[in-house]
Amino acid sequence: MMDTFLFIALPYVAFVICVIGTIIRIKKWPVSYSALSSQFLEPKALMWGSVPWHIGIVVITVGHLLAFCFPGLWQSMMGKAEILLATETIGFAAGVVCLAGLIVLILRRIGSSKVQAVTSTMDLIILGLLLAQVLLGLAVALHYKYGAAWVSGTASPYLFSLFTLQPNLQFIQDLPVAVKAHMVLAYLLILLIPFSRLIHMFAVPLQYVFRPAQNVVWNNPRHSEASEANYQQEEARREFIKGAAGITLGCGVLAIGTVDKVYNFFFGPRLSAKEEEEIMSTRLKRLQMTANQRKLELERQTSNFILVSALSDLKANEGKYFIDFNMNTAMAFAGEDGLPILMSAKCTHLGCTVSNQVDEKGQVLCPCHVSFFDVKTGKPNAGAPAKNPLPMLPWAIMDKRGKVIAERAASGQITGDTALSSIKECNVYITRDLEGKA
Amino acid sequence: MDIRAQVSMVFHLDKCIGCHTCSLACKNVWTDRPGAEYMWWNNVETKPGTGFPTLWEDQSHYKGGWKLNGKNLELLSQNKLDAFIKLFYNPNQPGLEDYYEPWTYQYENLFTAPEGDDQPTAIPVSQITGEPVDIVAGPNWDDDLSGSPLYAENDVNLDELTDEEREQLFEIERISMMYLPRICNHCANPSCVASCPSGALYKRGEDGIVLVNQDMCKGWRACVTACPYKKIYYNWKTGKSEKCILCYPKLETGQVPNCFQSCVGRIRYLGVLLYDADRIAACMSVPNHALIESQRSAICDPYDPKIIALARKNGISEEFIDAAQKSPIYKYVMKWKLALPLHIEYRTMPMLFYVPPLLPVMGKMDNGHYANTIDGFFSGLESARLPIKYLANLFSAGNVEIIEYVMKKLIAVRYYRRSLDMGDIDLVQINRMMREGNVSPEEAEEIYRLTALATVDQRFVIPPLQREEAISETCNPELCRGSCGLGVPVNVERGP
Ligand code: SF4
Ligand code: SF4
Ligand code: FES
Repeated sequence: MMDTFLFIALPYVAFVICVIGTIIRIKKWPVSYSALSSQFLEPKALMWGSVPWHIGIVVITVGHLLAFCFPGLWQSMMGKAEILLATETIGFAAGVVCLAGLIVLILRRIGSSKVQAVTSTMDLIILGLLLAQVLLGLAVALHYKYGAAWVSGTASPYLFSLFTLQPNLQFIQDLPVAVKAHMVLAYLLILLIPFSRLIHMFAVPLQYVFRPAQNVVWNNPRHSEASEANYQQEEARREFIKGAAGITLGCGVLAIGTVDKVYNFFFGPRLSAKEEEEIMSTRLKRLQMTANQRKLELERQTSNFILVSALSDLKANEGKYFIDFNMNTAMAFAGEDGLPILMSAKCTHLGCTVSNQVDEKGQVLCPCHVSFFDVKTGKPNAGAPAKNPLPMLPWAIMDKRGKVIAERAASGQITGDTALSSIKECNVYITRDLEGKA
Repeated sequence: MDIRAQVSMVFHLDKCIGCHTCSLACKNVWTDRPGAEYMWWNNVETKPGTGFPTLWEDQSHYKGGWKLNGKNLELLSQNKLDAFIKLFYNPNQPGLEDYYEPWTYQYENLFTAPEGDDQPTAIPVSQITGEPVDIVAGPNWDDDLSGSPLYAENDVNLDELTDEEREQLFEIERISMMYLPRICNHCANPSCVASCPSGALYKRGEDGIVLVNQDMCKGWRACVTACPYKKIYYNWKTGKSEKCILCYPKLETGQVPNCFQSCVGRIRYLGVLLYDADRIAACMSVPNHALIESQRSAICDPYDPKIIALARKNGISEEFIDAAQKSPIYKYVMKWKLALPLHIEYRTMPMLFYVPPLLPVMGKMDNGHYANTIDGFFSGLESARLPIKYLANLFSAGNVEIIEYVMKKLIAVRYYRRSLDMGDIDLVQINRMMREGNVSPEEAEEIYRLTALATVDQRFVIPPLQREEAISETCNPELCRGSCGLGVPVNVERGP
């Protein structure tokens, strides 16, 4: 409930209010906002505050935006250890610079009586929120390392789901409180943009780069009328040149395309039968993959039992991966008692896939932030970043004719005839109706 | 050719008595409000002196105006890229201490103080914080202190003077000074406009008045630094910049700006100049010593039929052309070449011109008497009380010849009038003087009349600014009648 409010309602409300409020303020009350600089009243501390703060926050904001706007590219880049390390370092350094600047700005605002004369309550609220936000950001970066990597599996898809109006909290459910608080504060800050000095971020004068040095404004209709004639003449000429250039360009492109096609048709390289076959077969393979995926999904939506493996195929030291009802990875081991162990392979820390290799201590490793999980109980080792055990999945053992020999309920209770000798030839299934309501 | 009209100005410094009436006339109407207390859109400085804000002419510190980079003009204060870093902190922006902390007095205390042994006093309190202040500086802190080593010696215009010249200047018996009233020059090549990141500053096409659009100003303060005359002020309360508006609401209704109207010495002239806007950049890109001539070359003759035709083509009305022909400014600047812009080396092409003062120059003492004979008068210019070099640094980018030309002409006119009134000077000598001063008797008469006897209508030739045409699309002039300058007044407030 709380999550729904904080992570679905709040972002939408904040975003809508921010957009509408900002537009109204910019259009209807432009005279009310500016950078509200107080350099005039107190320049010295301002330099040491404002410059680091702004540079730091620009770097960090750009980083966050890149990760959210280009998750694919971002993820593939963060796959390289050096890039990941560099990104983390730059981000953290920028955060520290921000923090230093912000502290100077806060001290200055509280300390100088002249600056106080132009300080509003909203200014103080904003400064407080920003301080909390930067501290949280740094804490997350310190404590949950490699955020640049795990964000692509968590916050990015969540934000994407918000943008596509299909909010999905699943991605961020397991995130630590600090990360969630960082998000909530971000929403609050966005909400406050139109009601505070923060609105000055939309005044960044990018047009300055392009505009001519002088700016002459004529109010006089006679001037425009008089120059209308000249202008029209020139305009007509400009239009003509533009049109001619456009047509030439278009024709050129078309011509090149046509020539290319014609040339290829007659003289172009011929595909050998083998090459053609290869192309077709890759296409086919791709189609097949899509079909399989789809089938898997459908199967999981309709049937109550899904085959994992023959019982005899399970090993004790190497798990067999499969896909559970939620389309998440899970794995199956053979237990000491000859019965199967089925557990989720989605790390309870930040959702990486846990390895299926059992070490000598009887544990499997999540490689992302090094959590070891006990295969028998699913419990993480003491001190691991993951705090919750990997959930055990309910299963059923069926003979060839589909008769349930034994099963394990979500509660962990095992019923049925586990001692049956023919059990070795049976298959292991995961079961839906018994799967806990989790 | 792109002919534009400019409402421009001449200040005749010989007549300024340094009374500051102009400053107060401006203050009372425009800047007597919170955030603007420290602003003096019009101020009067004592020269030699440090001015307001302190040492504003020191561009190595304040970085105002343009610099010549090869053939291109570039802002001294920023380029298109570092302008963005300077949004966060502008290293050259003058701060409060360069102006002064505005204060008032706690007058209530005089009435409400409890009974005691002492007289109650009204202590000074800051108009920013409301706390008691120690007054360390104010506007015109160096008023009339030309001899003071604290102020006058720091005047940057004295930098190139020889030790001897300096000594002369500060010798106690010879100490001299002049007054320099300053408002925004409404430049034709304004560096303030060029520096504004938001594009809020603009020059009005019809009359050349430079204004800050308060809606668009986002308080980046680039203009405060970029204006070499420091005539843009940052309002600490509203977070926007403000400047002299040449009283456009008054001009638009045919009245004279406050500082002109109130001027006790009647030193101020206002009128129209026509100039060629296409040539601005080229004119301002010549070496320092040629700048005065090159600015003059961009100003057009309002009687030339070709110019008139081009002006009409640009939508300049008949009334404007007529005003340009009657313009006292055209006479002082172009016809007589007596009026010079202040610090043309900043290359903003200022449109306010000054007739340099003659009195201090002439006040040379000879045996305890003012030198009054005509012999060798022009040669006396070199040892004048206020060194010619000093005036040249102010009014001709260091070009001494231009100042000498002006001085000779002014002296010739003065002796011509003296010979008419007193008849005590030999005609041959007068003729020689007029020749050397480049002035004919008719012209001398004309200069004398416009300088000494001119009526209000001759000093201020204001064409109708036809604002009603400009706003006709947004508002019916009949309905807008009475509102400020026919516009819609908006209250500039600090937002949340
Ligand atoms: S004097 Fe006036 S027009 Fe010229 S640069 Fe300064 S503010 Fe701009
Ligand atoms: S009012 Fe006129 S005479 Fe007095 S200081 Fe101003 S410009 Fe000079
Ligand atoms: S995702 Fe962090 S330890 Fe598994």
